[in-house]
Formats: sequence, C-alpha cells, structure tokens
Amino acid sequence: MNTEKSETGEGKKRSGDVIVETVSRVMVPFIQLFALYVIMHGSSGPGGGFQGGVIFGASFVLLVIAFGIVNAGDRFPEAVNTALFSTGVYIYAGVGLLCIICSFGAAQYLNYGFLSLPVHFEERRALGMDFIEIGVGITVMAVIAEIFFNLAWKKEEDEGEE
Amino acid sequence: MKLISISALLFVIVLGALFIYVAEDIPDFGDPYSAPNCCIKLFDVNAAGLMDDLNQGVIPESLADKIEKRGLPLPLRVESIEEGKWDFFLVPEEKQQAFYPKEQKYYLIKKEGDKLGVYRYSLVIRWIEEGKEETEVPNMVTYGLADYRGYDTLGETSVIFTAGVSVLLLLRRRGKRPEAK
Repeated sequence: MNTEKSETGEGKKRSGDVIVETVSRVMVPFIQLFALYVIMHGSSGPGGGFQGGVIFGASFVLLVIAFGIVNAGDRFPEAVNTALFSTGVYIYAGVGLLCIICSFGAAQYLNYGFLSLPVHFEERRALGMDFIEIGVGITVMAVIAEIFFNLAWKKEEDEGEE
Repeated sequence: MKLISISALLFVIVLGALFIYVAEDIPDFGDPYSAPNCCIKLFDVNAAGLMDDLNQGVIPESLADKIEKRGLPLPLRVESIEEGKWDFFLVPEEKQQAFYPKEQKYYLIKKEGDKLGVYRYSLVIRWIEEGKEETEVPNMVTYGLADYRGYDTLGETSVIFTAGVSVLLLLRRRGKRPEAK
C-alpha cells in the first residue's frame, strides 16, 4: 500500500503491482466458482451456505487487497451489496412461507415437503434445503463484503488525513 | 462494607452454588444413553400383569390409560427390541399425515427390577435413524441444520443479517469518497 501515496495525484489509487493484480484477476472467478460449488454441494458432502458464503466474500477481500478499496468498491457497488443481504434472508423466510401457501395452510412453516415441485415428498425436502442454503450463502457473502469494505474504507480515510 | 456489597456477594455465592448444582446434573459428555441423546424417563409402572401382554405384542390397557392421563399421545403398536425392552410406535391419523407421514418410534419401555420404566425417545434418534430416508440427503449435518432445525438456522442467518445492518449503520464510510473531503 506504500506505492499508493506516491500516486495520489491520479483520480483513482492503484496498488500498481502487475503480478498481484493479474494473479488475483485470474484467481477470483475460480474462487467464486468454488464458492458456488461448496454451496450447492452442501447436501451431499461437506459444505453449505455459511461456508460457501464466506468463500465468496473472501474473493471480494482478495479484490480489495489487489486493486485498492476504490476500484474494487466500484466493481461491487454499495447499493447492490445492501440489497443482497436482505435478499438472502427474504429467500429463506420466503421458502418457509411458500410451504404454508402451497399446502393451503396444512403444513408448518419451513416444511419443505409441501413445496409445489414435480418430484416426490422426500426430494422436495432436499430441494427446499438447497434453496435455503442459497439464501444463507447470499446473506453471508454480502455481510462479509460489507464489513470488510467499510473497515477498509475507514482505514484509507484515516491515512488520507495524516 | 456497604449493604449493597454484601447483598451482591451473597447473590454471587448463591448463583455460583446454583451453577455447581446444575453442572452436577449434566450427563457425561458423549453418553449415548443420556436424555438429550437417547431418551428421557417419564414415569414408572408396576410390572405385574403387564409382561404377558407386552410379550404377545399387545399394549396393556392400564399402561395406555396412564399415558393418556398425562396428556401424552397414545401408542398404537408395540415391538420387542430385546429381552425386557420394547418400542411403542405412534401411527399418524388421517389429519396428521401432513406432519408425520410415517409411523414414528416414540416410547421405550424398559424392565427395571419389578417395575417398568416408560421413556420417551428424543428427536436425535429419529434424526439419526430415519433422516436419510425422510429427506433423500446423505449428509446428516445438512439435513439436521437445514431441515430438522430450520428455525435455528433462520435465526442464525438473522443474526448475521443484524451484524451487517449494524456495521452499515455505525461504520458506514463507503458512500463518502476520500477525495471529496
């Protein structure tokens, strides 16, 4: 981060290290793909929404380390982030509510066996679990990114004041 | 010493004694027969006259009455596990099929001397023995976390959501650019 101070004349700060930027640009899609794999693999192996969401959030942390907070922040705007972390909880709670709606009030909240899906009872439960894992993953990813971006931004602001 | 200090000291001592008393009651770690892991004791009945019925696969009426009197669900089928141990099953009614589509192992009857102990199975037994068939998911942790304890995970997700909102409210800096200062 020392190189940033020497280039403060530019509009956007860059870390300026070609190797770090290129490697992270190549790695980030693979990390995100792996995060999606972990989320979707939660039902048949180790993994799940919390773990996959953290890996997805870590890919944004890598972006911030490589490109600086301003450039990486533009790639993942604050409005999108804020919308995402309520979307995850809405997906989870919405699947639970759909179970009641689809069964006309016969089933309990979060009883996935009554979702209107063209498979039999047990497989509906498996699919319902996948849906809520996606919701958990979105929330965890957005919150990790949110916390890290805000803390990193504060750091940069303090350095600027010195 | 002030009065408040003495009363605070007494309060702490009583609370500590209570914690030690409660900690004495916690089952050994990993004990497979402890209440949360296997079954919890409901009551004792006199074994005299009930053994023949149980051995023939019939639920004795006096036992069923005692279960009903305590407001517990009535068992409809009995199965012998081994010498002196029986499982009682609940068969769901038409109206309850939505919640429990299959019959459910509910009570454990164990012979203890000249008495019969009536135990109730904990949820973990059903979770371990029938979870894979009920949910078609091979991973025990996942179906426990997302299906049997779905409310719990919803709460955890809400906690993380609350953490995000708190950071947004208290530490928000992203909206302001450093250059604008």
